Amino acid sequence: MKVFMMGAALCLAMPAVAQDFSAGSEANSWGLAGEVPARFDATVVDILCELSGDCPEVCGGGARQLGLVRSADDVLVFPNKNGQPLFTGAVQELLPYCGQEVEVDGLMIVDEALGAQNIYQLQTIRAKGESEWVKANRWTQVWAEENPEAAGEGEWFRRDPQVNALIEKEGYLGLGLEVDEAFIADWF
Amino acid sequence: MKRVAMALALAGAPLAASAAEGARVEVRGEIIDTWCYYSGVMGGPEAVVGSAHHTCALWCSAGGIPVGLLAEDGTVYMVLKLGGQGTTGNPTQMRLASHEVTADGILYERDGLKYLIVEEVVTDHGITNPNHEDFGPVPGFAIPEPQE
Repeated sequence: MKVFMMGAALCLAMPAVAQDFSAGSEANSWGLAGEVPARFDATVVDILCELSGDCPEVCGGGARQLGLVRSADDVLVFPNKNGQPLFTGAVQELLPYCGQEVEVDGLMIVDEALGAQNIYQLQTIRAKGESEWVKANRWTQVWAEENPEAAGEGEWFRRDPQVNALIEKEGYLGLGLEVDEAFIADWF
Repeated sequence: MKRVAMALALAGAPLAASAAEGARVEVRGEIIDTWCYYSGVMGGPEAVVGSAHHTCALWCSAGGIPVGLLAEDGTVYMVLKLGGQGTTGNPTQMRLASHEVTADGILYERDGLKYLIVEEVVTDHGITNPNHEDFGPVPGFAIPEPQE
């Protein structure tokens, strides 16, 4: 009886041991302190749906954050970033695979001090059974299609109408145009 | 013995993945860009918040990177809904980038992360961390150099 009690107590007290998913990963390093290559099978889910049961069609059609429920351990992984070094998230990369089983490769970000756990940077993805990997870099193409009036030279984030409208109103620092003006005069 | 067996079964069983009840909470903190905060790609955590990081926070928010609410105790709540919308290209979350807010919402927790559905921004305190005075713009190219 004591052995059973001790076993139960140990099981309950033990923290979940992080599994190693780096085997076979071909993810490129981004030189981040907490990066760990991770390649695994998963199902693409609408995180709001997964947690709360609020489930619109097609995972919200791009308006919601999407997640990966890892097949090996049922852990919900949150891809925060796609493969482009351009301030772009992972939703548009995952959306074509809503509800499907996929294989992904990328970087897990682990930083206990900041609470980073199961945060992921997606680099490549393929539907289960497919041989060809797809690069997670379609965000800028989707943005260009949705913002034809912003076509032009330079990076998307310098041309984004919503961003530019807010900067015009509140400045680069967000503290108002007068604060911006004084800072810029001093800084450059 | 039955109780012990039940305890063992519970300890070994994975938590159900199906939808669960959330808990109502009120949290005060800054609306942050989670990728820069967690990854350290732009520098330490003190530099990727506040006015120093405001423009980058706008870029990331427009780019669909998840926003979080960084509470006073250092806890990050991953925001899934704000102003009645999801959090990709959401104009309310864009407007609140780098702002300190008091938010009322529903909290869910899974696999080490806290998720928040913000039902109401009770108070918008504005940008309360003028850390550009310490760090300048982060990243440095966030503010274009004025042309002569």
